[in-house]
Amino acid sequence: MFKRILLVACVVFLIATCAALAADTKTLTCIGPWSGAEMEAFVPVLQAFEKETGIKVEYRIYRGEDLSAQLPAQFSAKTTPGDVIFMWAWFIAKQGEAGHALDLTGLVKDADYLPGALDSLKVGGKLYGIAYTGKVKPGFWYRKSFFQKHGLTPPTTWEEFVALLDKIAKIPGIKAPIVSGDGVGWPLSDVTEHFIATFGGPQLHKELTAGKIAWTDPVVKGIFEGRLVPLLKAKRFSEPIEWTQALELWWQGDYGLYFMGSWITGMVKDPSDLGVFSLPGARGIVFGADYAFVPKYTKHPEEAKKLIQFLATKGQEVQVTKGGHIATYAKVPLDAYPPVDRGVAELLTGRVALSDMDDTIGGEWQPAFWDQLKLLWVKPDRYVEVLETLEKKAP
Amino acid sequence: MRERLLRPIFFVPALVLLAAFVVYPVVNTVWLSFLSPKGDFVALDNYAEVLSQPEMVDPRGFQRGFPYGALIHNFMWLIIHLPLTVHLGLALAVVLRGVRGGSVIKSIVFLGMVTPMIVGGIILRFMFDGSIGIVPGIVRLLGGTPHTLTAYPETALLSLILGSLWLWVPFGMVLYSAGLETIPSEVYEAAMIDGASPLSMFFRITFPLLKPITEVVVTMTFLWDLKIFDVVYAATMGGPGGASNVLALQMYFYAFREFNPNSAAVVACVLMLLTTLVAAPMMIRSAREAR
Repeated sequence: MFKRILLVACVVFLIATCAALAADTKTLTCIGPWSGAEMEAFVPVLQAFEKETGIKVEYRIYRGEDLSAQLPAQFSAKTTPGDVIFMWAWFIAKQGEAGHALDLTGLVKDADYLPGALDSLKVGGKLYGIAYTGKVKPGFWYRKSFFQKHGLTPPTTWEEFVALLDKIAKIPGIKAPIVSGDGVGWPLSDVTEHFIATFGGPQLHKELTAGKIAWTDPVVKGIFEGRLVPLLKAKRFSEPIEWTQALELWWQGDYGLYFMGSWITGMVKDPSDLGVFSLPGARGIVFGADYAFVPKYTKHPEEAKKLIQFLATKGQEVQVTKGGHIATYAKVPLDAYPPVDRGVAELLTGRVALSDMDDTIGGEWQPAFWDQLKLLWVKPDRYVEVLETLEKKAP
Repeated sequence: MRERLLRPIFFVPALVLLAAFVVYPVVNTVWLSFLSPKGDFVALDNYAEVLSQPEMVDPRGFQRGFPYGALIHNFMWLIIHLPLTVHLGLALAVVLRGVRGGSVIKSIVFLGMVTPMIVGGIILRFMFDGSIGIVPGIVRLLGGTPHTLTAYPETALLSLILGSLWLWVPFGMVLYSAGLETIPSEVYEAAMIDGASPLSMFFRITFPLLKPITEVVVTMTFLWDLKIFDVVYAATMGGPGGASNVLALQMYFYAFREFNPNSAAVVACVLMLLTTLVAAPMMIRSAREAR
């Protein structure tokens, strides 16, 4: 009888100990927008953190659009769905200002990053987020094999660019020279920003972002009227197609060119077949970084800070080896990049790195920009109305 | 006596829950709609401001086409979606009643009803996609040029309205099917003996006896059309250029993109007013019948 009691007591003690140990294991939740191939490239970063610190991390996928609806309500209730959350810079700054994000001042040094990389995350001298890797939106991607097969060459002037589109349009089986990626609308905004930065110059791009110049200004109107709208009217761009589907259609040869960010190198079957060119005369290129922050309501602030610090530094090195990402952390060695990304980085040489306009402005303007461009793409004649709406929505 | 005293006590839990989760949010929303973002009382200024926005009503639409504004778009949902839902639901219920294997077909039709609306919205998006969608695929088969119908302002709203029929018609079909079972077969037998044609039996017996069901279907569809959100959110996000925007989505934009709870509260109140106007007759009738 005594032996039985002892056995039961031992089992109970064992279970209790295991339960206590399990409860003590801290698991962080990291929320990001990446799924599919992009997620597969990001998960090794979290695994590297787990290996280094012994802290478990669970990854959850949420789009920025969904988080923008959920987080304010969660924060008002003093709770958070994640310990480290990737989100737009303007949103992080806003939450920092409202007291919903942890102050990360001193966690990373400005000098270790690309110039200005952390600026949009600061409010009143305090840093509320970190810059992760970024993506360049360099221009129009093409398959080298496609260009070779049809005797095409990247253009060096606007006239050559227009002639290239004409040539591609005449290739049998081609639906349109350029495929237009669509999601919530951001791929169209990337194309438009590239036209603005090329034909209006980096300064115009910066002034539009800062709200110092109106969307209805004759200079802006001229870019739309003289460059983008004629191409849209001539059906040189396809109608908006879901962007991952557009990638497949372009890769299989239904379209000749695809305007996309540098992450495309991590999404195609053969990155060595990729070529890219900017619009002739481009002096500025959009460099869009991903940003993360720690909500004030995390239950594990110290561990979350460790994770975000890792992401901001060593994690970037792990990420860039997977392709498609450019580090904002200056200490990432160049030989960490796959060859194709080194080529992308070269495109930045001698050009001004511009912040992503819609991600920087944010608020109600961002979806309005995306939505109005969807309209412009199918109704290019209504460009004046589009510009008026953008001006009206501008903060 | 004790029973009379105890009876109200049993209402208390329900009343507390109603007060906390229905009455308080409603009152607070109405109150918010009269306040400025800074918290000052501004009477109807918010209403004037919101209702004069082109996102709500855009008179330019009557000259150049879509968008017409969320309020007008919701009315379009009502004008097109409501009668189609009622008539198709009734037609399916009547036709499938006497058909062999009708219950199997009804079960298949009912799949639309059990599909979450957000999933339905995503399915709609791909259904109308120019490259892989079934609708442009049919156009291609017929020799036409396929387009992504949700990408064009002229067709986006109509695509959503017609496409969402499979999500909501099953509701009417199920209610009408249940209603048809309540009509005694003797009524039809008597009519047949009197020499009534199937058509006159439908209009003189079936349709009048299904009137209470029709009232429910019309009211519920009316409310569904007014509060439509998830289908539009997932399929087009109100685009392109606001061409398929609706009131509930505009409320979402005000609340979660502009972070302007006051404007969102105005749209919520407008929606509440419209739904109350529609639901009130049914509620009054139910109360009378209960008495």
